[in-house]
Amino acid sequence: MNPNKKRKIVPYLFIVPAFLLHACIVTVPALSTLVMSLFDWNGMNQAAFIGLQNFKEIFTEDKIVRLSVIHNIEWLLIFITVPLILGFVVAILVSQLRRSQMFFRTVYFVPYVISAAVAGKIWTAYMNPYYGLNQVFAKLGFENLSKVLWLGNPKIALAAVAFVDNWHWWGFIMVLFLGALQQVDPTLYEAARVDGANRFQELIHVSIPGIRQTIAFVLIMTVMWSFLTFDYVYIMTNGGPANATEIMATYIYKNAFVKYRAGYANALCVIQSGICILLYFFQKYVSKKGGLEDD
Amino acid sequence: MTKTMNKGFLYYLLAAIRMIFLVLMLLFAAVPLLQVFINSFRSDREVKIMPIGLPKDWALNNWPETWEIGGYAQAYLNSLLTAAVVIVVVLTLVGLGAYALSKLEFKGKNFFMAYFFVAISLPTFLYIVPDYFVMNKLGLVDTRWSLMIIYSATQLPFNMLLLRTFLSGIPRELEEAAKIDGCSELQCFLRVTLPIAKPMFLTIGILVFVHVWNEFLWANTFITTESLKPVATKYVVFTGQYGSNMARIYTASVITIAPVILLYLAFSRRFIEGMTSGSVKG
Repeated sequence: MNPNKKRKIVPYLFIVPAFLLHACIVTVPALSTLVMSLFDWNGMNQAAFIGLQNFKEIFTEDKIVRLSVIHNIEWLLIFITVPLILGFVVAILVSQLRRSQMFFRTVYFVPYVISAAVAGKIWTAYMNPYYGLNQVFAKLGFENLSKVLWLGNPKIALAAVAFVDNWHWWGFIMVLFLGALQQVDPTLYEAARVDGANRFQELIHVSIPGIRQTIAFVLIMTVMWSFLTFDYVYIMTNGGPANATEIMATYIYKNAFVKYRAGYANALCVIQSGICILLYFFQKYVSKKGGLEDD
Repeated sequence: MTKTMNKGFLYYLLAAIRMIFLVLMLLFAAVPLLQVFINSFRSDREVKIMPIGLPKDWALNNWPETWEIGGYAQAYLNSLLTAAVVIVVVLTLVGLGAYALSKLEFKGKNFFMAYFFVAISLPTFLYIVPDYFVMNKLGLVDTRWSLMIIYSATQLPFNMLLLRTFLSGIPRELEEAAKIDGCSELQCFLRVTLPIAKPMFLTIGILVFVHVWNEFLWANTFITTESLKPVATKYVVFTGQYGSNMARIYTASVITIAPVILLYLAFSRRFIEGMTSGSVKG
C-alpha cells in the first residue's frame, strides 16, 4: 500500500471500532424499536405485524399509561423547582466562601456518587414504618408524623421517592452552578461595584446572566431526564402501592420483562422518547425566548 | 463611625446565618450515610428501636456475617472483573477514536462527531428491549459477557467527547515532530499523546469503574444467576431476602458503597470534574 493511501485509511481504523460497537449495541437496536412497535411480539416467537394497534391501545384502553405520564409530569414539576433552587442558592453562598469551599463541595457531592440501589434502599430502611425514622418522631413527641406510611400511602409515596432522588441529585446541580459561577469574569463584579451595585443587584445583573448557559443546560437535562427516570422508583416502590408511583419507565419495564409484551413495550418506548424530543425542542425554544441561550 | 459598626454587625450576622444554613445542608447530605456506617456496628435490636444514634454495645458480628451470607466475595469479584474488562475496552476505543477526532483530518469526521454527540442522550429504554432479546438468542443473557459488552458500548460517547476536548488542547506540533522522526500515527499516539493525556485516562478509568460498580438496570435485567451478579444487584436481592435484619441491611449498604466512597475521597476533584464536564459545552 502506498503511504498516501495508508494515511487516508488510518483515521478510520482509529474511529470505526468505537463507532461499530456503539452502533451495534445502541443505535441499530434503538431503530429496531421503532419498527418493532408495530408488531405483536413476546420476544421469543414470530412477531406478527399489527400496524398501529399498540398505539391505539396505549391511547384509548390503557389507563395506566395516562397515570404514568401524569406521575412523570409531577416528577418534572418537583425536579425543575426544588433541586434547582436549592442548588442555586447553595452555590451562590458557597462561592462566597474562601478556604472551606472545596470541603463543602466535596461533601455535597457524596450522595451523587453512590449507587442508586443503595441510596434507595438506605432511605427505604429509614422510611420503614416500624423501624425507621418514625421511631425518632415518636420519641420526639410527633405522634402524627410517627404514624405516616411514607412509601405505603398512595398520596405521598411519589413525593417520598422524589425526596430521596432529590437528596442524591441536588448536590450535582449545586456543583454545576458553582463551577459556572467560578468562571464568571471577576472584572464584571468589579465594574458592578464601581457602579454602586449591591449584592442582590450583582446577583441579578452579573451572576445569573454569567451562568445562563448552565441554567439552560440544567433545565434541558431535568426536563428530559424526568421522563426517563427509573432507578429510584423501581428500587423503592416498583410503581406501587396500587400504581401510585407508576412512571413510564417502570411500566415499560414491566411490560417488557414481566409480562413479555415486547412489542407493546417498544411502542411505549417510542412514546416516551417522542415526549422527550418534543420537550427538548420546547425547552430550547423557551430558553432562547427567555434569553438563556445564544444561537 | 456607628454606621460602619452597624454594617459590620450585620455583615457578621449574615455570615453566621449563611454558615448555619450551609452546615445544615452539609448534615443533610452526610448524616444519612454516616448513620448507615454507624448502624453497621450496632445490634439489630438497637437499630430497630432507634435508627439514629451511637452504638451502646459495639456489634462487630454484622460485618463478617453480612459478607458471608450476602456472597459478597463473589459479587466483588464479578464487579471487579467486569469493570477491568470494560475499562480496558473503553480506554482503547476512546483513546484511538478521540485521537482521530482531535488530531486527524478525514472525510466524515463531522458525521462521527455529531454521532457521538447525539448518542449521549439516547434513552436507555429505546434499546434495552431489543438488546435483551437479541442477546437471549445468542445465549449471552445471564453471562458476564453481556454486561461487559453493553457497558463498553454505552460508556463510549460521553468519554469519547470528554477525551477529545482534552486532546484538542494539546498542541499538534508535538505529534508532528514525532512524525518527522518517522513515527506512524499509532506510534505518535502511544509515545506522545498518551503520556501527556495520562491524567485524563485515569479520570475516565475512574468514571467507568464507578459506573460499572453502581449500575443497576442492565445488571438487574440481564443477570439472574446469583453467583454471576455484580455488587449493586446482589445488594438489592440481599435486602429483599434478609429484610428482617435491619443491621445487616445497613452493613450490606456500607459494603456495597465502600469502594466508591474510598475512591471518591482519594480522587474527589477528578470525580467532580469528570462527572460535571459536558455541561459547559452543552
